[in-house]
Amino acid sequence: MFPLDSPWNISFAGCGFLGVYHIGVASCLLEQAPFLVRNARHIYGASAGALTATALSTDTCLGDVGASIIDVAKEARKRLLGPMHPSFNLVKIMRHLLLKTLPPDCHHRANGRLGISLTRVSDGENVLVFHFNSKEELVQACVCSAYIPVYCGLIPPTLQGVRYVDGGISDNLPQYELKNTITVSPFSGESDICPRDTSTNIHELRFTNTSIQFTLTNLYRVSRALFPPDPMVLKAMCKQGYKDALHFLKRNGLLNFNGPQRDRPLLVNGEEKKDCVEEEPKEVTAVRAVSSIEDHIIEYLPPRVHRALVEACMERRSLAQSLGNLLPVKMVSVMMLPYTLPLESAVWLTLRLLEWLPDIHEDVGWIREQLLKFLQRVVRQASSTVSHHVSARLFCHLELHHQQSLRSQFSSSNLFPTWMNEGSSSVFSRLDHYKKQLLSGGLCINMDLQGSFGTAVVSPDKSSAFLSVPLSTNSAEAINSS
Amino acid sequence: MDPATTSEPLQNDCEPEGDTATGKSWSSSVWSRWPSWRPTSMSLLKTVESKILACIQNDLWARFVTLPNQDRIWTLTLTNKMVRKPAEQAPKTPLVMVHGFGGGVGLWIRNLDALSRSRPVYAFDLLGFGRSSRPPFPSDAAKAEEQFISSIEQWRQSVGLENMILLGHSLGGYLATSYAIQYPSRVSHLVLVDPWGFPERPKPQPQPQDTEGQGPEPVKRSIPRWVKAVAGVVSLFNPLAVIRAAGPWGPGLVNRFRPDFKRKFEDLFDDDTMTQYIYHCNAQTPSGEVGFRAMSESLGWAKTPMLHRVHLLPPAMPVTMVYGAQSWVDSSSGDSMVQIRGQAHTRVVLINGASHHVYADQPEEFNRVVENICKTVD
Repeated sequence: MFPLDSPWNISFAGCGFLGVYHIGVASCLLEQAPFLVRNARHIYGASAGALTATALSTDTCLGDVGASIIDVAKEARKRLLGPMHPSFNLVKIMRHLLLKTLPPDCHHRANGRLGISLTRVSDGENVLVFHFNSKEELVQACVCSAYIPVYCGLIPPTLQGVRYVDGGISDNLPQYELKNTITVSPFSGESDICPRDTSTNIHELRFTNTSIQFTLTNLYRVSRALFPPDPMVLKAMCKQGYKDALHFLKRNGLLNFNGPQRDRPLLVNGEEKKDCVEEEPKEVTAVRAVSSIEDHIIEYLPPRVHRALVEACMERRSLAQSLGNLLPVKMVSVMMLPYTLPLESAVWLTLRLLEWLPDIHEDVGWIREQLLKFLQRVVRQASSTVSHHVSARLFCHLELHHQQSLRSQFSSSNLFPTWMNEGSSSVFSRLDHYKKQLLSGGLCINMDLQGSFGTAVVSPDKSSAFLSVPLSTNSAEAINSS
Repeated sequence: MDPATTSEPLQNDCEPEGDTATGKSWSSSVWSRWPSWRPTSMSLLKTVESKILACIQNDLWARFVTLPNQDRIWTLTLTNKMVRKPAEQAPKTPLVMVHGFGGGVGLWIRNLDALSRSRPVYAFDLLGFGRSSRPPFPSDAAKAEEQFISSIEQWRQSVGLENMILLGHSLGGYLATSYAIQYPSRVSHLVLVDPWGFPERPKPQPQPQDTEGQGPEPVKRSIPRWVKAVAGVVSLFNPLAVIRAAGPWGPGLVNRFRPDFKRKFEDLFDDDTMTQYIYHCNAQTPSGEVGFRAMSESLGWAKTPMLHRVHLLPPAMPVTMVYGAQSWVDSSSGDSMVQIRGQAHTRVVLINGASHHVYADQPEEFNRVVENICKTVD
């Protein structure tokens, strides 16, 4: 039995186009155990899960959302290259559909209840956003949470002035560690609501908190998360979600169970126990009664959702696109791809550029900032390694010098390989010249170098070869005396 | 219970160096010549393990038990100082814990202390896992299983246990059952925690027609061929080959993809101790892994499912199956087991809020359940 005596949360995992699974789960929860959704303290979501979470917390029609996902999937499948085609602008479609489906006061309903998982670009940390000032902001949060870098674009979107990308990168299943969080994931694994693959594979991965078992079907699902399958498969996934959620409710005895009266908040323990005792027999009978019609239920999604999905799936055939599916036409289009693609890309890129115009100033500023930061970091890192290198070498040389100057009064030439000594003596006279020039600053430089070599970045070999000559106090004394 | 074995004195870490393990295979000696691509070694494993075992408060005796065939089994023995004193009491049946695939004795850290309060507890690294010897395993399922089982039996003889409460998790549960079938007189109670390898691989059933009212449904839920091809390629390798192939990135990989291990034990260790332990257990030369692969079919089904054999267990042997409610291991095989063996001596326990690693997710509840089982024995 799921502990209902303390506040609980629902958390939807990110999963790309498999988000329809969440729709199935959500519609089941709403239909069979509405109190579970209504009284949940928080509803979390990451990436595609954020969409369902938003829909649930704002009482948006789930059928519409499901249909939207299928529409987007269809859009993505329209072209030969699928979602990789330049004409497919996921962010734009998503924003448009969300603005269309969400009710105007959605941000009020969602405030404080809905938690959207985001990844902050500047430090890669996970952020859960709970407050939305307007509908646009809520939509933007959803867009940010689903913004998979590269797949969706290169410049991350902003929310309340901060750049965010896909929440799944840092935390794909927010708050999963709380005992009272119902975790929903379309990947078979150890989430509360997830498909149960018949497999006994011992291997299991955790992709930023989402448990994914290593099974054939999961492999298929992962591959389909970003490259959507046939709408019919998506619909089947939705149904699967419904089924799994029903299974979860049944297992936890929540089916047709009206839940603890939340308007009597936090009962005294004794009272509560009595409550449970009273509740249980009722529950059992309820489960029994339901189990007879359950097979019936299982086959059907809520009519509204079902209708929406079927419509979304049907549309495709009614379109005169069946022509495009004919083999010769397909072949021709494949063969033409090298020619058509650059052209299309050019057109779509221009379009995108035009759409980008309003934001261009801000984005370019951001890019410049990022570049600068990056360069600074590179320089800092390089200089730190160089200084490390150089100072280490200098110490070596110093030691060497010391040793050697003890042996012979002045013999900087000994430091060099013999071939150098045998070479023209002009090299040496020049070196001596440098030596005298640098003598005064030599020790200073040495100390500087120990700290950081920030002033000038010289390649380590050159600098050390060059500097090693004058940096011996003993030899310096020797020069002075000579 | 007199250990007639290599009994170095006193507590923990008595063996000087794990690398001198006798059952060292040829390939590992070749590997050791390379500058380590994988940042692991038996001594690193030892260091991490000793860090874990330092949490134990009861009397701990850790040593290698040398089997007649020179394989060495890393063994922990825990006894409660308080209880050991009144020796006139009849000695209680010891509890023997067998870890799962890719694990080691360290994973029991949250259970050892609690369970050893009332009776001696033995935990050992399975042959080919953890710090035990890593001999080559045959590729035949029955022979590989036999090698595991005989190593357990030899271990029991060397340690000198007359009988025991045998507890196995995951792969350990499979082996424990197999052991109990072969040596029923040694097992007073069999405890199986999320055991692996019980159900049979379902036959590819003819697609039940999707009985949806509306329209024809051409949904092909079959898995595309390329997925099968990928799986085929993957199954050519040892299960954890990735970790070894990743070399210096291996520890990071474990950290990245199994952060749950870190979380499960976070009240004991706030650093990467646990994931490091898992890494060092599995980044060594594969051995037990080879044995596991021999016993399993593609994607983790057992070649010889245990449900086909449980009727061979003596009907009077009490068996308890403990499942995590969230685990991917299907507890329905427990119910099948009840059907096969009858209600009388088979029990299924579900632990809520626990995943596959039941003992680490809900240690208190798990310890309580096991403690109760132990009490029924003596």
